[in-house]
Amino acid sequence: MDVQVTVLGGIPLLELEGDIDHGNSTLVESALREMLDSGSRLVLVDLTHVGYMDSGGISALFYGIRRLREKGWLGVIGPNHDLSRLFELVGLYADPSFRVFEDRPAAQEALAEEAGR
Amino acid sequence: MNGARSPNINQAIIVKADTAQLGQVRRFVEEVGAQLSLDHERVFDLKVAVSEACANAVEHAGGKATPLKVCACTEGERLTFTVSDSGRFCPPCPSRRDRLGISGLGLPLMVALMDEVTFAHAPGGGTTVRLSVLLDHGPSVHP
Repeated sequence: MDVQVTVLGGIPLLELEGDIDHGNSTLVESALREMLDSGSRLVLVDLTHVGYMDSGGISALFYGIRRLREKGWLGVIGPNHDLSRLFELVGLYADPSFRVFEDRPAAQEALAEEAGR
Repeated sequence: MNGARSPNINQAIIVKADTAQLGQVRRFVEEVGAQLSLDHERVFDLKVAVSEACANAVEHAGGKATPLKVCACTEGERLTFTVSDSGRFCPPCPSRRDRLGISGLGLPLMVALMDEVTFAHAPGGGTTVRLSVLLDHGPSVHP
């Protein structure tokens, strides 16, 4: 799995590529920790190039969501159908601090709305 | 499976009790799925469930030198993966999750994605998790 931290619309963006499982999910959580320690109340995770995730990866996302609760949200970009099914199963979609965007333009639109508040 | 009789499967792999081996386990599940012409969703669900069972086994297997055995076999129209180790399955609990960093989502996912999940403890130690799907059914989850 490749992990890169960049920026989209001034918001920290974690770009992931490959399979995320219990063997490497700590890398995702560590990256999220660093991004959140910077104080951002919004965080994006691009899953466009992630084909597989188990509960290790989901747990890493929950870590980020917990830290942003009542402050902001964690948005994932481009999860495939399988990942979306897992997110539904574990109740992520019901969490107000979790957002899903089809692609980066959709995420940028949401960021623009946040900036306009 | 479109009504066609499933080929008989009886295969196994042995891997180290190490989460770095989960990719190898997933490839094994994919190979079995291809032999049975399972659809993509069913294979994905099996990969997650078997991976979760292996990850739990790694947590309590007592060291990477301890092997995990992953078997796949068909009985009629039922496909069963078994994950066997020499430790004891530990159900998730919040205090243990905090201490060991275990997500606690593995067991609920296994139960949600499979048609049947059972656990067996051998008297002398060791746990076997059985994960079964019925091959004439479609994917078990349609959110």
